[in-house]
Amino acid sequence: MTTTMGRLAADPASATWTIGAARVLAGLDRNAVLDARTHLDTHGPLPAADLGRLLGLLDASGLTGRGGAGFPLAAKLRALRGQRPTVVVNGSESEPASVKDRVLLRRTPHLVLDGALAVAVALRGRRVTVAVHDAAAAAAVRTAAAQRPDGNRVRVELVSGGFVAGEARALVRALDGGPALPPGRREHATDHGVLLANAETFAQLAVLIRLGRHRFADTGTRTEPGTTLLTVGGAVGRPGVVELPLGTPLGIVLAAAQAGQPRLVVAGGYHGSWHPAVPAIELSRSGLAAAGGTLGAGVLLVLDDSTCALGELARVTAWLAAESAGQCGPCRFGLPALARDVQALCQGHPGAAEIALRHARAVDGRGACRHPDGTARFVTSALHLLQDETYLHLHHGGCGRPVLGLLPIGGRP
Amino acid sequence: MTLEIDWTRCDGHGLCAALLPDRISRDEWGFPVLHGTKLPPDTAVRRAVAACPALALRLTRT
Repeated sequence: MTTTMGRLAADPASATWTIGAARVLAGLDRNAVLDARTHLDTHGPLPAADLGRLLGLLDASGLTGRGGAGFPLAAKLRALRGQRPTVVVNGSESEPASVKDRVLLRRTPHLVLDGALAVAVALRGRRVTVAVHDAAAAAAVRTAAAQRPDGNRVRVELVSGGFVAGEARALVRALDGGPALPPGRREHATDHGVLLANAETFAQLAVLIRLGRHRFADTGTRTEPGTTLLTVGGAVGRPGVVELPLGTPLGIVLAAAQAGQPRLVVAGGYHGSWHPAVPAIELSRSGLAAAGGTLGAGVLLVLDDSTCALGELARVTAWLAAESAGQCGPCRFGLPALARDVQALCQGHPGAAEIALRHARAVDGRGACRHPDGTARFVTSALHLLQDETYLHLHHGGCGRPVLGLLPIGGRP
Repeated sequence: MTLEIDWTRCDGHGLCAALLPDRISRDEWGFPVLHGTKLPPDTAVRRAVAACPALALRLTRT
Protein backbone atom coordinates (compact mmCIF):
# COMPACT_ATOMS: atom_id res chain seq x y z
CA MET A 1 0.00 0.00 0.00
CA THR A 2 1.28 3.41 -0.92
CA THR A 3 0.71 5.71 1.99
CA THR A 4 2.31 8.88 3.10
CA MET A 5 1.39 10.92 6.11
CA GLY A 6 -0.72 13.97 5.41
CA ARG A 7 2.12 16.33 6.11
CA LEU A 8 2.27 18.00 2.76
CA ALA A 9 1.61 21.34 4.41
CA ALA A 10 5.12 21.14 5.87
CA ASP A 11 6.56 22.22 2.53
CA PRO A 12 4.14 24.16 0.39
CA ALA A 13 6.82 24.77 -2.23
CA SER A 14 6.91 21.00 -2.73
CA ALA A 15 5.49 18.98 -5.56
CA THR A 16 3.30 20.46 -8.25
CA TRP A 17 2.03 18.28 -11.08
CA THR A 18 -0.61 18.44 -13.73
CA ILE A 19 -3.15 16.31 -15.54
CA GLY A 20 -3.17 17.62 -19.09
CA ALA A 21 -1.33 20.78 -20.06
CA ALA A 22 -0.13 23.15 -17.33
CA ARG A 23 -1.64 26.63 -17.44
CA VAL A 24 -1.53 28.26 -14.02
CA LEU A 25 1.36 25.98 -13.00
CA ALA A 26 3.24 26.39 -16.31
CA GLY A 27 6.98 26.62 -15.85
CA LEU A 28 7.00 25.29 -12.29
CA ASP A 29 8.28 21.90 -13.46
CA ARG A 30 11.54 23.60 -14.51
CA ASN A 31 11.80 26.54 -12.11
CA ALA A 32 11.56 26.85 -8.34
CA VAL A 33 10.33 30.43 -8.79
CA LEU A 34 9.29 32.24 -11.96
CA ASP A 35 10.95 35.66 -11.79
CA ALA A 36 9.87 38.47 -14.12
CA ARG A 37 11.97 37.13 -16.98
CA THR A 38 11.10 33.43 -16.74
CA HIS A 39 7.47 34.47 -16.25
CA LEU A 40 7.52 36.37 -19.57
CA ASP A 41 9.40 33.53 -21.29
CA THR A 42 6.78 31.06 -20.04
CA HIS A 43 3.53 33.00 -20.44
CA GLY A 44 4.36 35.80 -22.87
CA PRO A 45 3.32 39.43 -22.42
CA LEU A 46 -0.13 40.23 -20.99
CA PRO A 47 -2.44 41.76 -23.62
CA ALA A 48 -4.14 44.99 -22.57
CA ALA A 49 -7.77 44.53 -21.56
CA ASP A 50 -10.28 47.25 -20.72
CA LEU A 51 -13.32 46.60 -18.55
CA GLY A 52 -15.51 45.65 -21.52
CA ARG A 53 -13.04 43.05 -22.70
CA LEU A 54 -12.54 41.65 -19.18
CA LEU A 55 -16.30 41.32 -18.67
CA GLY A 56 -16.65 39.65 -22.08
CA LEU A 57 -13.96 37.11 -21.18
CA LEU A 58 -15.39 36.49 -17.72
CA ASP A 59 -18.96 36.09 -18.97
CA ALA A 60 -17.84 33.64 -21.65
CA SER A 61 -15.77 31.56 -19.24
CA GLY A 62 -17.97 31.88 -16.15
CA LEU A 63 -14.83 32.20 -14.01
CA THR A 64 -15.77 31.85 -10.36
CA GLY A 65 -13.83 32.53 -7.17
CA ARG A 66 -11.50 29.72 -6.17
CA GLY A 67 -11.44 30.40 -2.44
CA GLY A 68 -14.51 28.40 -1.48
CA ALA A 69 -17.62 30.52 -2.02
CA GLY A 70 -17.44 30.23 -5.83
CA PHE A 71 -18.90 33.66 -6.59
CA PRO A 72 -18.65 34.79 -10.25
CA LEU A 73 -15.82 37.29 -10.71
CA ALA A 74 -17.78 39.19 -13.40
CA ALA A 75 -20.49 40.08 -10.85
CA LYS A 76 -17.91 41.60 -8.49
CA LEU A 77 -16.46 43.71 -11.33
CA ARG A 78 -19.92 44.95 -12.32
CA ALA A 79 -20.79 45.84 -8.72
CA LEU A 80 -17.70 48.04 -8.51
CA ARG A 81 -17.79 49.66 -11.93
CA GLY A 82 -17.03 53.39 -11.62
CA GLN A 83 -15.96 53.12 -7.96
CA ARG A 84 -12.17 52.87 -8.39
CA PRO A 85 -11.94 50.02 -5.85
CA THR A 86 -8.94 48.66 -4.05
CA VAL A 87 -8.19 45.22 -5.43
CA VAL A 88 -7.42 42.68 -2.71
CA VAL A 89 -5.76 39.34 -3.38
CA ASN A 90 -6.85 36.98 -0.62
CA GLY A 91 -3.83 34.76 -0.11
CA SER A 92 -4.56 33.98 3.53
CA GLU A 93 -5.46 30.36 2.71
CA SER A 94 -6.62 29.41 6.17
CA GLU A 95 -7.65 25.87 5.20
CA PRO A 96 -5.01 23.76 6.95
CA ALA A 97 -4.85 21.18 4.15
CA SER A 98 -4.64 23.74 1.32
CA VAL A 99 -1.33 25.03 -0.03
CA LYS A 100 -2.28 25.91 -3.61
CA ASP A 101 -2.53 29.67 -3.07
CA ARG A 102 0.78 29.81 -1.24
CA VAL A 103 2.40 27.79 -4.03
CA LEU A 104 1.15 30.38 -6.52
CA LEU A 105 2.25 33.37 -4.44
CA ARG A 106 5.64 31.90 -3.61
CA ARG A 107 6.51 30.33 -6.94
CA THR A 108 4.60 32.17 -9.68
CA PRO A 109 3.71 35.51 -8.08
CA HIS A 110 3.75 37.43 -11.37
CA LEU A 111 0.81 35.48 -12.71
CA VAL A 112 -1.30 36.44 -9.67
CA LEU A 113 -0.14 40.07 -9.95
CA ASP A 114 -0.94 40.10 -13.68
CA GLY A 115 -4.57 39.22 -12.95
CA ALA A 116 -4.94 41.58 -9.99
CA LEU A 117 -3.29 44.53 -11.76
CA ALA A 118 -5.42 43.93 -14.88
CA VAL A 119 -8.55 44.26 -12.72
CA ALA A 120 -7.16 47.37 -11.02
CA VAL A 121 -6.38 49.00 -14.39
CA ALA A 122 -9.78 48.09 -15.87
CA LEU A 123 -11.65 49.50 -12.84
CA ARG A 124 -9.24 52.45 -12.48
CA GLY A 125 -8.39 51.32 -8.98
CA ARG A 126 -5.27 52.76 -7.44
CA ARG A 127 -3.92 49.89 -5.47
CA VAL A 128 -3.56 46.14 -5.29
CA THR A 129 -3.26 44.74 -1.78
CA VAL A 130 -2.00 41.19 -1.40
CA ALA A 131 -3.04 39.80 2.00
CA VAL A 132 -1.15 36.75 3.20
CA HIS A 133 -0.75 34.82 6.44
CA ASP A 134 2.85 33.71 5.94
CA ALA A 135 6.14 35.58 5.64
CA ALA A 136 7.55 33.54 2.75
CA ALA A 137 4.62 34.39 0.48
CA ALA A 138 4.87 38.06 1.53
CA ALA A 139 8.57 38.14 0.65
CA ALA A 140 8.01 36.44 -2.71
CA VAL A 141 5.30 38.92 -3.72
CA ARG A 142 7.40 41.92 -2.61
CA THR A 143 10.32 40.62 -4.66
CA ALA A 144 8.09 40.12 -7.69
CA ALA A 145 6.53 43.59 -7.36
CA ALA A 146 10.00 45.16 -7.30
CA GLN A 147 10.78 43.44 -10.63
CA ARG A 148 7.93 45.01 -12.60
CA PRO A 149 7.19 48.58 -13.74
CA ASP A 150 3.63 48.52 -12.35
CA GLY A 151 4.80 46.98 -9.06
CA ASN A 152 4.65 50.31 -7.21
CA ARG A 153 0.86 49.86 -7.03
CA VAL A 154 1.22 46.64 -5.07
CA ARG A 155 1.12 46.51 -1.26
CA VAL A 156 1.69 43.34 0.69
CA GLU A 157 -0.05 42.95 4.04
CA LEU A 158 0.93 40.20 6.43
CA VAL A 159 -2.26 39.56 8.41
CA SER A 160 -2.55 37.12 11.27
CA GLY A 161 -5.42 35.02 12.48
CA GLY A 162 -7.04 31.63 12.29
CA PHE A 163 -9.52 29.83 10.08
CA VAL A 164 -12.34 32.41 10.03
CA ALA A 165 -9.87 35.33 9.65
CA GLY A 166 -9.45 34.27 6.02
CA GLU A 167 -13.14 34.83 5.34
CA ALA A 168 -13.50 37.69 2.84
CA ARG A 169 -15.39 40.13 5.06
CA ALA A 170 -13.17 39.39 8.08
CA LEU A 171 -10.12 40.08 5.95
CA VAL A 172 -11.55 43.40 4.72
CA ARG A 173 -12.13 44.45 8.34
CA ALA A 174 -8.58 43.46 9.30
CA LEU A 175 -7.14 45.48 6.39
CA ASP A 176 -9.18 48.47 7.61
CA GLY A 177 -7.47 48.17 11.00
CA GLY A 178 -10.37 46.38 12.65
CA PRO A 179 -10.62 42.90 14.17
CA ALA A 180 -10.14 39.92 11.83
CA LEU A 181 -13.69 38.75 12.53
CA PRO A 182 -16.75 38.34 10.31
CA PRO A 183 -19.23 41.22 10.78
CA GLY A 184 -22.70 40.58 12.18
CA ARG A 185 -24.54 42.45 9.46
CA ARG A 186 -25.03 41.07 5.99
CA GLU A 187 -22.53 42.89 3.84
CA HIS A 188 -20.03 42.09 1.14
CA ALA A 189 -16.51 43.25 0.43
CA THR A 190 -17.94 45.13 -2.57
CA ASP A 191 -20.00 47.26 -0.13
CA HIS A 192 -16.68 48.64 1.13
CA GLY A 193 -15.36 49.52 -2.33
CA VAL A 194 -13.13 46.47 -2.29
CA LEU A 195 -12.77 43.91 -5.04
CA LEU A 196 -11.54 40.82 -3.22
CA ALA A 197 -10.80 37.45 -4.75
CA ASN A 198 -8.66 34.47 -4.00
CA ALA A 199 -5.08 34.23 -5.37
CA GLU A 200 -5.89 31.40 -7.79
CA THR A 201 -8.83 33.38 -9.20
CA PHE A 202 -6.47 36.17 -10.30
CA ALA A 203 -3.98 33.66 -11.73
CA GLN A 204 -6.78 32.02 -13.73
CA LEU A 205 -7.84 35.47 -14.98
CA ALA A 206 -4.27 36.13 -16.18
CA VAL A 207 -4.40 32.84 -18.12
CA LEU A 208 -7.82 33.75 -19.55
CA ILE A 209 -6.65 37.19 -20.76
CA ARG A 210 -3.71 35.61 -22.57
CA LEU A 211 -5.59 32.67 -24.09
CA GLY A 212 -8.85 34.39 -24.97
CA ARG A 213 -12.23 32.79 -24.44
CA HIS A 214 -11.96 30.10 -27.13
CA ARG A 215 -8.56 28.67 -26.28
CA PHE A 216 -9.39 28.95 -22.57
CA ALA A 217 -12.35 26.64 -23.26
CA ASP A 218 -10.20 24.02 -25.02
CA THR A 219 -10.19 22.12 -21.75
CA GLY A 220 -12.66 21.63 -18.93
CA THR A 221 -16.40 21.15 -19.38
CA ARG A 222 -18.83 23.12 -21.50
CA THR A 223 -20.34 24.93 -18.51
CA GLU A 224 -17.09 25.11 -16.54
CA PRO A 225 -14.22 25.64 -18.98
CA GLY A 226 -10.58 25.67 -17.96
CA THR A 227 -8.59 24.08 -15.18
CA THR A 228 -8.62 24.15 -11.41
CA LEU A 229 -6.01 23.66 -8.73
CA LEU A 230 -6.43 21.03 -6.07
CA THR A 231 -4.24 20.41 -3.06
CA VAL A 232 -4.11 16.61 -2.90
CA GLY A 233 -3.05 14.82 0.27
CA GLY A 234 -3.73 12.03 2.72
CA ALA A 235 -3.15 8.40 1.72
CA VAL A 236 -1.45 9.09 -1.59
CA GLY A 237 2.06 8.43 -2.84
CA ARG A 238 2.27 11.73 -4.66
CA PRO A 239 0.84 14.58 -2.58
CA GLY A 240 1.03 18.11 -3.89
CA VAL A 241 -0.71 20.85 -5.80
CA VAL A 242 -2.33 19.54 -8.96
CA GLU A 243 -3.71 21.41 -11.96
CA LEU A 244 -6.39 19.47 -13.79
CA PRO A 245 -9.15 20.12 -16.33
CA LEU A 246 -12.47 20.86 -14.64
CA GLY A 247 -14.64 17.77 -14.88
CA THR A 248 -11.76 15.26 -14.57
CA PRO A 249 -13.10 12.06 -12.97
CA LEU A 250 -11.96 11.42 -9.40
CA GLY A 251 -10.57 8.01 -10.43
CA ILE A 252 -8.04 9.63 -12.79
CA VAL A 253 -6.79 11.94 -10.05
CA LEU A 254 -6.58 9.12 -7.50
CA ALA A 255 -4.54 6.98 -9.92
CA ALA A 256 -2.25 9.87 -10.85
CA ALA A 257 -1.76 10.70 -7.16
CA GLN A 258 -0.80 7.07 -6.53
CA ALA A 259 -3.57 6.39 -4.05
CA GLY A 260 -3.11 2.67 -3.26
CA GLN A 261 -6.49 1.62 -1.94
CA PRO A 262 -8.56 4.76 -1.60
CA ARG A 263 -11.78 4.26 0.31
CA LEU A 264 -12.97 7.76 1.23
CA VAL A 265 -12.22 11.28 0.08
CA VAL A 266 -12.73 14.62 1.79
CA ALA A 267 -13.47 17.18 -0.93
CA GLY A 268 -13.46 20.95 -0.60
CA GLY A 269 -11.63 21.22 2.71
CA TYR A 270 -13.00 21.26 6.24
CA HIS A 271 -16.13 23.11 5.20
CA GLY A 272 -16.50 20.49 2.48
CA SER A 273 -17.80 16.96 2.56
CA TRP A 274 -16.91 13.27 2.77
CA HIS A 275 -17.52 10.93 -0.15
CA PRO A 276 -16.86 7.31 -0.98
CA ALA A 277 -13.91 7.13 -3.41
CA VAL A 278 -16.20 6.63 -6.42
CA PRO A 279 -14.02 6.96 -9.56
CA ALA A 280 -16.84 8.49 -11.62
CA ILE A 281 -17.32 11.61 -9.45
CA GLU A 282 -16.54 14.59 -11.69
CA LEU A 283 -14.24 17.15 -10.16
CA SER A 284 -16.08 20.32 -11.06
CA ARG A 285 -18.46 22.55 -9.19
CA SER A 286 -21.49 20.87 -10.76
CA GLY A 287 -19.97 17.37 -10.52
CA LEU A 288 -19.39 17.65 -6.80
CA ALA A 289 -22.75 19.33 -6.29
CA ALA A 290 -24.34 16.30 -7.98
CA ALA A 291 -22.47 14.09 -5.49
CA GLY A 292 -23.83 16.20 -2.63
CA GLY A 293 -20.61 18.06 -2.01
CA THR A 294 -18.59 21.09 -3.04
CA LEU A 295 -15.27 21.85 -4.71
CA GLY A 296 -14.96 24.46 -1.95
CA ALA A 297 -11.41 25.54 -1.30
CA GLY A 298 -9.91 23.05 -3.77
CA VAL A 299 -8.75 20.36 -1.37
CA LEU A 300 -8.85 16.60 -1.96
CA LEU A 301 -7.79 14.37 0.92
CA VAL A 302 -7.73 10.60 0.53
CA LEU A 303 -8.32 8.05 3.31
CA ASP A 304 -7.60 4.33 3.08
CA ASP A 305 -7.97 1.49 5.59
CA SER A 306 -4.75 2.37 7.38
CA THR A 307 -6.42 4.92 9.62
CA CYS A 308 -9.49 5.18 11.86
CA ALA A 309 -11.85 7.42 9.90
CA LEU A 310 -13.95 8.27 12.98
CA GLY A 311 -10.79 9.26 14.83
CA GLU A 312 -9.77 11.47 11.90
CA LEU A 313 -13.22 13.06 11.98
CA ALA A 314 -12.97 13.65 15.74
CA ARG A 315 -9.58 15.39 15.41
CA VAL A 316 -10.80 17.74 12.69
CA THR A 317 -14.10 18.46 14.44
CA ALA A 318 -12.24 19.40 17.63
CA TRP A 319 -9.99 21.67 15.57
CA LEU A 320 -12.97 23.32 13.86
CA ALA A 321 -14.61 23.91 17.26
CA ALA A 322 -11.40 25.53 18.55
CA GLU A 323 -11.31 27.76 15.45
CA SER A 324 -14.70 29.31 16.24
CA ALA A 325 -14.19 33.02 16.77
CA GLY A 326 -16.63 32.72 19.69
CA GLN A 327 -18.68 35.69 18.51
CA CYS A 328 -21.94 33.84 17.91
CA GLY A 329 -23.64 31.73 20.58
CA PRO A 330 -24.74 28.73 18.50
CA CYS A 331 -21.20 28.34 17.09
CA ARG A 332 -19.45 29.03 20.39
CA PHE A 333 -21.47 26.43 22.29
CA GLY A 334 -22.65 24.18 19.47
CA LEU A 335 -19.31 23.33 17.85
CA PRO A 336 -17.68 22.16 21.09
CA ALA A 337 -20.82 20.09 21.76
CA LEU A 338 -20.51 18.59 18.29
CA ALA A 339 -16.84 17.82 18.88
CA ARG A 340 -17.70 16.07 22.17
CA ASP A 341 -20.42 14.06 20.38
CA VAL A 342 -17.99 12.79 17.74
CA GLN A 343 -15.46 11.95 20.44
CA ALA A 344 -18.18 10.04 22.32
CA LEU A 345 -19.00 8.19 19.11
CA CYS A 346 -15.36 7.11 18.83
CA GLN A 347 -15.58 5.81 22.38
CA GLY A 348 -18.65 3.76 21.49
CA HIS A 349 -21.31 5.71 23.36
CA PRO A 350 -24.78 4.61 22.17
CA GLY A 351 -26.86 7.41 20.70
CA ALA A 352 -23.89 9.70 20.12
CA ALA A 353 -24.42 9.77 16.33
CA GLU A 354 -28.03 10.93 16.70
CA ILE A 355 -27.02 13.65 19.16
CA ALA A 356 -24.23 14.77 16.83
CA LEU A 357 -26.64 15.04 13.90
CA ARG A 358 -29.04 17.03 16.08
CA HIS A 359 -26.30 19.43 17.14
CA ALA A 360 -25.16 19.79 13.51
CA ARG A 361 -28.69 20.81 12.54
CA ALA A 362 -28.82 23.18 15.52
CA VAL A 363 -25.78 25.21 14.39
CA ASP A 364 -26.49 25.22 10.64
CA GLY A 365 -27.06 28.74 9.30
CA ARG A 366 -26.90 30.35 12.74
CA GLY A 367 -23.80 32.53 12.68
CA ALA A 368 -22.33 35.69 11.20
CA CYS A 369 -20.18 33.60 8.85
CA ARG A 370 -20.39 30.15 7.32
CA HIS A 371 -18.16 28.42 9.86
CA PRO A 372 -21.04 26.66 11.67
CA ASP A 373 -22.71 25.73 8.36
CA GLY A 374 -19.49 24.35 6.89
CA THR A 375 -18.65 22.41 10.04
CA ALA A 376 -22.17 20.95 10.14
CA ARG A 377 -21.87 19.81 6.51
CA PHE A 378 -18.45 18.27 7.13
CA VAL A 379 -19.60 16.26 10.17
CA THR A 380 -23.02 15.29 8.78
CA SER A 381 -21.59 13.98 5.49
CA ALA A 382 -19.02 11.93 7.43
CA LEU A 383 -21.56 10.42 9.83
CA HIS A 384 -23.79 9.30 6.98
CA LEU A 385 -20.81 7.62 5.34
CA LEU A 386 -19.17 6.05 8.41
CA GLN A 387 -21.97 3.77 9.58
CA ASP A 388 -19.83 0.61 9.45
CA GLU A 389 -17.17 2.30 11.56
CA THR A 390 -19.81 3.56 13.96
CA TYR A 391 -21.09 -0.02 14.38
CA LEU A 392 -17.56 -1.32 15.10
CA HIS A 393 -16.93 1.43 17.65
CA LEU A 394 -20.30 0.83 19.29
CA HIS A 395 -20.22 -2.97 19.49
CA HIS A 396 -16.56 -3.98 19.27
CA GLY A 397 -14.79 -1.21 21.14
CA GLY A 398 -13.33 0.31 17.98
CA CYS A 399 -12.23 -0.51 14.44
CA GLY A 400 -8.75 -1.63 15.49
CA ARG A 401 -7.04 1.00 13.35
CA PRO A 402 -4.82 3.76 14.68
CA VAL A 403 -5.60 7.43 14.08
CA LEU A 404 -2.77 8.41 11.74
CA GLY A 405 -3.67 12.07 11.30
CA LEU A 406 -4.02 11.86 7.51
CA LEU A 407 -6.28 14.92 7.70
CA PRO A 408 -3.85 17.68 8.66
CA ILE A 409 -4.83 20.25 11.27
CA GLY A 410 -3.06 23.44 12.22
CA GLY A 411 0.70 23.68 12.05
CA ARG A 412 0.47 25.77 8.92
CA PRO A 413 3.81 27.04 7.67
CA MET B 1 -40.53 42.30 6.50
CA THR B 2 -37.75 39.91 7.47
CA LEU B 3 -36.75 39.15 11.03
CA GLU B 4 -32.99 38.81 11.46
CA ILE B 5 -30.64 38.04 14.29
CA ASP B 6 -27.20 39.60 14.49
CA TRP B 7 -25.47 36.58 15.99
CA THR B 8 -22.42 38.63 16.97
CA ARG B 9 -24.66 40.64 19.33
CA CYS B 10 -27.13 38.07 20.62
CA ASP B 11 -26.38 36.93 24.18
CA GLY B 12 -29.39 34.66 24.50
CA HIS B 13 -31.30 36.79 27.02
CA GLY B 14 -34.51 35.24 25.74
CA LEU B 15 -36.83 38.25 25.80
CA CYS B 16 -37.72 37.74 22.15
CA ALA B 17 -38.84 34.17 22.79
CA ALA B 18 -40.86 35.28 25.82
CA LEU B 19 -42.60 38.03 23.81
CA LEU B 20 -43.12 35.99 20.63
CA PRO B 21 -43.58 32.42 21.88
CA ASP B 22 -45.34 31.38 18.66
CA ARG B 23 -42.53 32.60 16.42
CA ILE B 24 -39.35 32.15 18.45
CA SER B 25 -38.18 29.30 20.68
CA ARG B 26 -34.80 28.75 22.31
CA ASP B 27 -32.16 26.13 21.66
CA GLU B 28 -30.48 24.13 24.42
CA TRP B 29 -27.97 26.94 24.96
CA GLY B 30 -30.70 29.59 25.23
CA PHE B 31 -30.25 31.17 21.80
CA PRO B 32 -33.28 32.01 19.68
CA VAL B 33 -34.62 29.72 16.97
CA LEU B 34 -36.83 31.52 14.45
CA HIS B 35 -39.82 29.70 13.03
CA GLY B 36 -39.94 31.43 9.67
CA THR B 37 -38.44 34.86 9.08
CA LYS B 38 -40.98 36.48 6.77
CA LEU B 39 -43.38 38.37 9.00
CA PRO B 40 -46.08 41.01 8.89
CA PRO B 41 -44.73 44.04 10.80
CA ASP B 42 -47.28 43.75 13.59
CA THR B 43 -47.05 45.40 16.99
CA ALA B 44 -45.89 42.30 18.84
CA VAL B 45 -42.95 41.81 16.49
CA ARG B 46 -41.93 45.47 16.77
CA ARG B 47 -42.16 45.28 20.56
CA ALA B 48 -39.87 42.22 20.59
CA VAL B 49 -37.34 43.96 18.37
CA ALA B 50 -37.39 47.02 20.64
CA ALA B 51 -37.08 44.88 23.76
CA CYS B 52 -33.88 43.06 22.77
CA PRO B 53 -31.29 44.26 25.33
CA ALA B 54 -28.42 43.47 22.93
CA LEU B 55 -30.00 45.17 19.90
CA ALA B 56 -29.52 41.85 18.12
CA LEU B 57 -33.02 41.39 16.75
CA ARG B 58 -33.82 43.36 13.60
CA LEU B 59 -36.60 43.83 11.11
CA THR B 60 -35.44 44.53 7.59
CA ARG B 61 -37.39 45.43 4.51
CA THR B 62 -37.10 42.54 2.03
